[in-house]
Amino acid sequence: MMNSGITVIDYGMGNMWSVLSALRYLGCNPTVSGQPDVVANADALLLPGVGSFRKAMLTLKQSGLDQAILEAVQVKQRKILGICLGMQLMGSRGSEDGETEGLGLIANPVDLFTPEETGTNKIPHIGFDLVRGQSDARLFQGLPEAADFYFVHSYRMLPAGLAGKAALCNYGIEFLAAYEQENIFATQFHPEKSQTNGLMLLKNFLAQ
Amino acid sequence: MLKKRLIFTLLYNQGQFMLSRNFRLQKVGNLDWLQTHYNFSQISFSIDELIVLDVSRGERNAEAFCTALKTLAEGCFVPVAAGGGVRTLEQARVLLRSGADKVVVNTPVYDSRAFIGELASEFGQQCVVAAMDVKRMPDGSYSTWVESGSRCLEGTATAWIEQVAQSAVGELYLNSIDRDGTGQGYDMQVLDLLPTDMPKPVILAGGVGNAAHLAEGLADRRVDAVATAHLFNFVGDGLKQARLSLIKGGVDLPIWDIQLLEQHLRPVDTRQPGQ
Repeated sequence: MMNSGITVIDYGMGNMWSVLSALRYLGCNPTVSGQPDVVANADALLLPGVGSFRKAMLTLKQSGLDQAILEAVQVKQRKILGICLGMQLMGSRGSEDGETEGLGLIANPVDLFTPEETGTNKIPHIGFDLVRGQSDARLFQGLPEAADFYFVHSYRMLPAGLAGKAALCNYGIEFLAAYEQENIFATQFHPEKSQTNGLMLLKNFLAQ
Repeated sequence: MLKKRLIFTLLYNQGQFMLSRNFRLQKVGNLDWLQTHYNFSQISFSIDELIVLDVSRGERNAEAFCTALKTLAEGCFVPVAAGGGVRTLEQARVLLRSGADKVVVNTPVYDSRAFIGELASEFGQQCVVAAMDVKRMPDGSYSTWVESGSRCLEGTATAWIEQVAQSAVGELYLNSIDRDGTGQGYDMQVLDLLPTDMPKPVILAGGVGNAAHLAEGLADRRVDAVATAHLFNFVGDGLKQARLSLIKGGVDLPIWDIQLLEQHLRPVDTRQPGQ
């Protein structure tokens, strides 16, 4: 397989256990690293994460991982998949615990769901929910147009004005569930917790 | 709209998986038994969540429990919750590093709200599941029990649920001690204990014997998830069949195509040397 070179970025935010378990299930032998030189030279990157945007971004900056990611993705054109907080960090900025600049790989900002947006739906948005993928989205090949994926989040990116809207989810308001543009991929949901739907999506990413 | 959930709960006791009936435990078998009789790697594709509880009555061996948890979670691509005797942040952290996404707590929810607050601020409120064991009294009221159902709390179950609703937990696992392991179906009256605007998801547990019981639980709008811990009622492909019948009956469970496994996602045999 061509995907043996995937590096999962370890920056101390949350649980990588299930991501690694899913990658191994698909036949990968992922590298786990928090070292900028390893990340900058990786064939493919996976940015997981659960927790606070601000804390995560500070950690990436202090360790130099932010520049390493940008070098791999923007200079060397390596593919990246951001999951949950990992996707949010790829945005322009986040407002969790104060305004913080993101990696800027995706143009839109990340903000808290407002009660106006979600109506009677509870925040955080936790559980399996229906995701509508674009028919030509590479991440969703082999999956039905609407498929269930597992979410755990209170912050969301809106799709307005964005190229690369791979999939949307409606939780009172339509928010960005998945993004793909050239070598940059991201999901707000957890593919590693979404049964065969998620395994298929991960496999599609690995095949890019 | 969020989907409802079907949860499988495994009760672990010093290396063995157990059957519980009114909280009295009976040994069923070890991990090998589970694999042989449940083909767990397949069953895990018929559930929306897995809960693994260390219900050991004697001394708990956290290391052995975590080893079992890792083995179970490895081929399980849904959220996993684990618990049993968690009293410190470090104990919770160890579970979260062994494949769990959430920690289930029982006694501290009622005895130590400060600890629940610490858990929530360290790992996030969504990471904490409050388990509540209730028993119907002769006068029709309900009491709340802690320490594996051995100690009754003062005060009404309604008041305790109200407290759980306001505390820093992500969801409530509501279990009927009377129905536990009986196969007679859920005690639907425990749902009347819930406040009208329950702000947290509710998992209903205790008493399932067949798919119709699961359907009855899921049909109630106050129920977000149903759990079964009965190791014999759904043996073989019982859970798979129950899930299919629920979906066919119109229950809004998440849907995925298990055939993708055969067609595209066949796992690599890890016994082979790497490429």
